[in-house]
Amino acid sequence: MRLAGPLLDALRGAWRAVAGPSLMRRLLAAQMLTLGLLWTLALALLAYSTGRGEGVLGLNSVYETAISAAESLADRPREQGELLQRLDAALREGYGDDDADAAALAPSMMVQQGGQVVYLTGLDPRPLLQGPPDGRIVQHEDAAGRSWRLRTLHSARSDTSVTLIMPDTWELIITLTEHGLYPTPLVISLPFLILPAWLSLRLALRPFRRIGDELAARGPQDLSPLGYQPQHAELKPLVEGLNSLMGRMRESAERERCLIADAAHELRTPLAALRVNVEALRQQVQDPGQRALMDSLLRSNERAARLVGQLLQLMRSDAAGAQPQEAMALDELLQDRLAALEGLAAARGVELELETQPLLGPLRAEPGSLVSMVDNLIDNAIKYSPQGGTVRVSLQPREDGALLTVQDQGPGIPAALRERVFDRFFRAPDQSQSGSGLGLAIVRSVVERLHGRIRLDESQPGPGLRVRIWLPLESPAALPTLPPSC
Amino acid sequence: MKVLLLEDDLDLGNGVRIALSDQGFEVVWLRRLDDGLAALADPGYDMVLLDLGLPDGDGLELLAALRREKRKLPVLILSARDALTDRLRGLDDGADDYLVKPFALAELLSRVRALARRSYGLEGGTVSLRGLSLDESMRWAAVEGRPVELSRCEFDLLALLLKRAGRVVTRRALEESALPGGLSNESNALDVHISNLRRKIGPGFVRTVRGVGYVIDLQPEAAAR
Repeated sequence: MRLAGPLLDALRGAWRAVAGPSLMRRLLAAQMLTLGLLWTLALALLAYSTGRGEGVLGLNSVYETAISAAESLADRPREQGELLQRLDAALREGYGDDDADAAALAPSMMVQQGGQVVYLTGLDPRPLLQGPPDGRIVQHEDAAGRSWRLRTLHSARSDTSVTLIMPDTWELIITLTEHGLYPTPLVISLPFLILPAWLSLRLALRPFRRIGDELAARGPQDLSPLGYQPQHAELKPLVEGLNSLMGRMRESAERERCLIADAAHELRTPLAALRVNVEALRQQVQDPGQRALMDSLLRSNERAARLVGQLLQLMRSDAAGAQPQEAMALDELLQDRLAALEGLAAARGVELELETQPLLGPLRAEPGSLVSMVDNLIDNAIKYSPQGGTVRVSLQPREDGALLTVQDQGPGIPAALRERVFDRFFRAPDQSQSGSGLGLAIVRSVVERLHGRIRLDESQPGPGLRVRIWLPLESPAALPTLPPSC
Repeated sequence: MKVLLLEDDLDLGNGVRIALSDQGFEVVWLRRLDDGLAALADPGYDMVLLDLGLPDGDGLELLAALRREKRKLPVLILSARDALTDRLRGLDDGADDYLVKPFALAELLSRVRALARRSYGLEGGTVSLRGLSLDESMRWAAVEGRPVELSRCEFDLLALLLKRAGRVVTRRALEESALPGGLSNESNALDVHISNLRRKIGPGFVRTVRGVGYVIDLQPEAAAR
């Protein structure tokens, strides 16, 4: 039973290898099929020309020789028999009559004289003779259903007649087949033909494989033109098409990068100006009512700035396929980002804690998107933590990857909403914290791009939200892996 | 304290000028890179606030000019670009700090003051905060005027924390720049040095952020928490 699984898998794999479409197999099959057809055609032509043509049945000289031999030696039956036998042997010689099997293909001869059979080899044609012979070739089936062609010629001088009988064309082919004369050469030669054909195809298709190898070897962000420039008529358009496609993708990625950078600048500068001016004004104002109004202005400004920042992160994360990836040490990045966000935590009276264990390798990612993932996670945790609460962040190696856990002591997210909070602009109902509803959407977008998994549940011990993110690390062989299902 | 502000946006530049003037800084506000480069001929500036996207060039050119002249003028970059690579590039090119727009005025002031402390420190003066005094060139430290004997490591750690007061300095940064042998140290070597430092300068200065790093807060109440 234990073997059944692997065995089944192996069989399935082998079947896929055989049944899967392959150009190589297609070309090989076409070649071999053509060969078989040509072989059959050649044999059919051969059979037709020897069978349908009158052949020996149309040679009057053969008949006449036999008749005159029979007539002239009519009174010496022994010598007559010997002579006819020699003549018959000469006729059969072309069919290789030393071989017993080939005798079935050779013409048979019967000589009658005065109503008596004086000579007969092979098949006895008398049961097939119907009606008076008229010197034409006739076709008859014997009792076994085999078809024969025969012709009888009478002497004009005496009552001597000679009958020659041969198997019909189809019979000829059937006989050839029965004797293995048709398939045997083909069966013997095909294996010898397949190997050189396969080799030559493999050699001819080598440029295709080179393109495939080069494409497979490059990183996911590499949009440079192919280094291999084949001059083959079939490949040149393919490679040129690929290069032009990659060129267009490069340009569009570049445009997108510029757009995001421009948008960042254009949106942030007025927000920064608004904020600095309100804050400068607030320094000069003592009236508490006016200060309160300015505080709400600043809060709105902060929200707008946050939203702009998150929208840019989202744009960048969506365009991340176009950003260069780097090998990043996740523990160092966490330390840096927590240090940067500690000011926000301290202002809210929240403590940050980080616990990291050494990982097995670096993480390959676009730095900006990883930073926005961590920032949004920590930012959320700080925002929903109560005063005096602690945000605990840990990083552990787990299953060829890294497990990042962020726990807060806030209200948490009800189980029913844990899927929906990932939707863009979704915000849990009746909550007091301001927010754009984009934070977790950005987090998930980054996690998915890195082929990771994300899960929300309760802090241990509760209450609070626990976010667990598993990210695959760069394997030493850097093999492309399928994204694991979440 | 004379500050050169290079910012092309009218409203932002004016706001920063007024806000800093209110805090007692003397601000010269220019809007073009050429003007900024010309203004640097005046040796009277203590600090530059630099926007990167100027109409006639990239603000990083000014950093390059300063580096060519080997001038140790502190530079704080104000930029709308926030991608991690932009940050790193600005710092690699010799900027002392980087602030992403939009920023809170309190944040700007705290960074400007930190740079001012540093600027005096580089001139051989003393960095002082909450009763802690440190003279980097003399390698001398004092608490409330009372000199403290510090080991080489402890002094470097305190100097780094004071220079970046108000912000958490990561364990990695502290290990790399203040411990002999850098990162190859035992994992708790840093904690031992900090513990010794605390014993010598007294409690309430260096606050731990567990697993992340250490910080000397600008206000004492934050450390007391």
